[in-house]
Amino acid sequence: MLQPKLKSKVRCTDRDIGEVTKVVLDPLSHEISHIVVSMNGSGERQVGMGHVQAVMEDLVELRAPSSDIAALPPFKRDDYVTTHEVEISHLEDNLHVMPGEVLVPFPALEKDVKRRTFFMNFTHVIGFLIGLPMAYPILRFLMKPMYMPFDNEWLQVGNVSKIKQADLGVQFQYKKKVKEAYMPESEVEKSVWVLKASSEVLDKVYQGKDQEFRDASGKLIWTNKKDFSYIAFSGKCPHLGCAFKWRQHKTLGQVFLCPCHLSIYDASGKVLDGPAPRALDALPIRVSASGEVEVVDMEFKAGVKSQIRIV
Amino acid sequence: MEQPSIPSAQPTTVEKLISFLDARVGLKEMQAKMLNEPIPGGSRWAYVFGSILLFIFAMQALTGILLMFYYVPTADHAYASTQYIIHDVDYGWFLLGYHFWGSSAMVVCVIAHMSQVFLWGAYKPPRELLWLVGLALFGIVIGFGFTGYLLPWDQRAYWATTVGVEMVDKVPVLGDFLARFLKGGPTPGQMTLSRFFVIHVMILPAGLMALAGLHLFLFRVAAPAGPFSGTPEEIKAKTDYFFPRQIWKDMVGMAVVFATICGLAFWEPVVLLDEATPDPGEYHPEPEWYFLFYFQLLRLKVFAGEFGQLMGAVVVPVAFMLLLVTLPFFDKDPERNIFKRPIALISWIFIMAMIAIFTVSSVINREFLD
Repeated sequence: MLQPKLKSKVRCTDRDIGEVTKVVLDPLSHEISHIVVSMNGSGERQVGMGHVQAVMEDLVELRAPSSDIAALPPFKRDDYVTTHEVEISHLEDNLHVMPGEVLVPFPALEKDVKRRTFFMNFTHVIGFLIGLPMAYPILRFLMKPMYMPFDNEWLQVGNVSKIKQADLGVQFQYKKKVKEAYMPESEVEKSVWVLKASSEVLDKVYQGKDQEFRDASGKLIWTNKKDFSYIAFSGKCPHLGCAFKWRQHKTLGQVFLCPCHLSIYDASGKVLDGPAPRALDALPIRVSASGEVEVVDMEFKAGVKSQIRIV
Repeated sequence: MEQPSIPSAQPTTVEKLISFLDARVGLKEMQAKMLNEPIPGGSRWAYVFGSILLFIFAMQALTGILLMFYYVPTADHAYASTQYIIHDVDYGWFLLGYHFWGSSAMVVCVIAHMSQVFLWGAYKPPRELLWLVGLALFGIVIGFGFTGYLLPWDQRAYWATTVGVEMVDKVPVLGDFLARFLKGGPTPGQMTLSRFFVIHVMILPAGLMALAGLHLFLFRVAAPAGPFSGTPEEIKAKTDYFFPRQIWKDMVGMAVVFATICGLAFWEPVVLLDEATPDPGEYHPEPEWYFLFYFQLLRLKVFAGEFGQLMGAVVVPVAFMLLLVTLPFFDKDPERNIFKRPIALISWIFIMAMIAIFTVSSVINREFLD
């Protein structure tokens, strides 16, 4: 059935009674639920679509006599809001209640423009040409400080006289000078764990082989001799980079324990329990005649089986 | 539109100003459109969380801007300037405390909002895009929490960032690049602080405002989903407009949230730990409480080793987010009643129970570390 149009004549079974002045929409179904009929000057009536027999181009036929319609209560405008005053999306989408199309003239200058697609693509090309030379500089701009050469300097971290007992983790805290980009030089606190290792622990760490440390170009920096009895472990947990401690464990005895995700390592750095993927990282270590411990402060990527140096 | 009846007295200056603006901007129609939105089935307390989130964001923006008057995002001054805000600036402790607890409130209300939408089946067609934009907003909220946490530059900040970025490092192929990109170098330092600061105060707020606008727009286009049960006649009979009943409920919700955040800022003020440094001393690193369950999850044996870590740090969270993203596209059953969607109900209860259990167990675990 067509939708009733505004200004259509309304005809009852016996005679014409007026015209459609408003339509009422159901907000859920978005269908016209009522028409409002002007009763030829004697007020307005709200007529449900159930009364409508047929809708023609400019005529609505009702299936009731005019006396029935006139007996309906007068239309109460205050019970309604206009579609401009309420937010119901898509309300107008399937309605065609306008008495005809509403048109505005097409500007004369626009009539002769043939290459609309060309101009549309042209704007895209210009945009691309502006964006392209920006993309790489922006990426490089943001990448500037990401990669740095390794620092292989020896740092003094303390004296072996601090170590009273073999195979016991002792934390050596030290200050490291850092100079980052434009920042003034400053000191950060770091720590390594130093062990005076028994021969069993040394065997477990080195497995009978000297440990070699190389820089990025593959040049040998230092070799930890397999029978040298001091071992330094980087303070960074190989799981996710927290800092571990030396703790008494209920069943495992004295162990290295990381408080973050509870990785547990024995004195040789081997993983006893928890999520860590590899053993603790031994660092290049040397001890002077007076017992001063020196290490090369290296950091390795956490969370991977193999040792990958990042600092 | 109805012509206003001619007033007997002369219009006041305010009325003149309003009609001047209305004629040029269409204020009255705009206001009518904003307030007169039918809510199928009527207003409910369950619908308050979206408005509350907008309110929390506005307050975070306000307090955040105020904090920037004193905060300096450099490794040598971030800590001192934050301490200055807490101890020396009048009401600095309050505004910082509000911003700090406001972020927790944001996470709690986001979870509540997402749960409501999930339980009501409101993510189903035709509201898929609304749900997707909501998920992106969820990601932004998490990003706010993560980047904001570093800014005070104390030990808590430093270690949460260290561990968080190490998890990004576990992404296959791109992980190392992404982690370095976030840190601006191999280890956390000034570049990390600068980057997190810019992300926190520029990029995420812009993203959130754009996406929240889109979220609201899509919400208005799709219209509210309404209750998950009841016949169309019942729903129609109970329908009311956004104003006044829903707005009243939203306002009460906002007031409760505001009072709660103020109370927390007052009774649980922010206390910084020592200044950030790569040696944590006696501090046991821990993330913010709403990440504790995940922190505890990563302690599980299943997430041990290189493969386990890939699972825990990347695969599980990505798979979970992908599940949420694809949810409206495979769950097309128009049934929205949560009591007739047993899998959805059980999944929701299971996830909430897991979060609760793992959070509690990480708190219990604290005792065994000292």
